[in-house]
Amino acid sequence: MATTTATITLTSGDLTSDALALSTTATFTNAGGSNGLIGTTGLGRKKLASGHAQYVLFDGDAYANGAHKVYLKNTSTTAAEYFTIEINSEQMGKLYAGDWCLFPWEANADTNDIKIDPSADDMVLEYMLFIDE
Amino acid sequence: MATTTASLTLSSSDLTSDALSISATSTLYKAGTTIGLDQVTGLTRKVYATAQSNATLISAASYTDDTHNRIYIKNVGTSSTDYFTIELGGSNIVIGRLYGGDWLFIPYEGEQDIDISSSATDMELEYMVIYQA
Repeated sequence: MATTTATITLTSGDLTSDALALSTTATFTNAGGSNGLIGTTGLGRKKLASGHAQYVLFDGDAYANGAHKVYLKNTSTTAAEYFTIEINSEQMGKLYAGDWCLFPWEANADTNDIKIDPSADDMVLEYMLFIDE
Repeated sequence: MATTTASLTLSSSDLTSDALSISATSTLYKAGTTIGLDQVTGLTRKVYATAQSNATLISAASYTDDTHNRIYIKNVGTSSTDYFTIELGGSNIVIGRLYGGDWLFIPYEGEQDIDISSSATDMELEYMVIYQA
C-alpha cells in the first residue's frame, strides 16, 4: 500500500472583501476502505492535433469500478487554447492554457470513457491516473 | 478583475520507485482570456440529514452557457465508507465518488447541472463555484 496525497490551495486577496485562503489535503484510498491506491499510469504527456476529436484518454472498459483519481493539465501557454473534457460523452468543461483539474473517476460503466478534444493542433496534455486496483 | 490562484501538490514517496512530486498552479481566468474570474458563490456547506438521490447541487440555470468556471467540492466527513456520488447532466453521468476527506476541482461550462447522491444519512459537503458572469 502506498501513501499519496493531493493538496489544493485556493487563494485570492481581492475576489471578495474577505481574503480567500482555502487549503485541504486528501489521501488517495481505495473505494470504501483505507488502503492507499497502489496503481498508476505514471505522469504522461500526449500531443494531439485538432483532428483528434474525442480522443479516448482513459477507457472505462479497461478499469474496474473504483475510486480512481484523474489529474489533467493543459500545458499550453496560449490563452485561447483549450481541451474539452468529456465523461461518457457528456461535456464536463474546458481546460484552458495552464489549467489543471483533479477529480474522482468511478469507471462505473464500460462507456464511462474520459475523452479529450483539443481546440488547436499540437496541443499537449499532461495526465496521470491513480488506479484503485 | 480579481486574481485567484489554484495550486495543487501531488506527492508520494512510495507509489512508485521514483518519488512523486507534482506541483501545478493556475490563475483562474475567464474563457480564452487573461482576465480573472470575479464572481463566487462563497464556500458553502450543505448538510444532508437524509440520503440523497440525484439532488441538484449546482444548477446550470444559475450560470451563463459556455463560460469557464471552476468547481470545488469536498466531502467533509471522515468516514471511509460514506460517499457522495458526483453526477453530470440530465442523464446523471457519474463522474466519481468523494469519500470522507476527498475533494475535486474541475472546470465547468455552466451548461449541465451537477447533481449529487449520498450513501448515508447525516452527510456534509462543502462546495464553491468561482465563475464568470
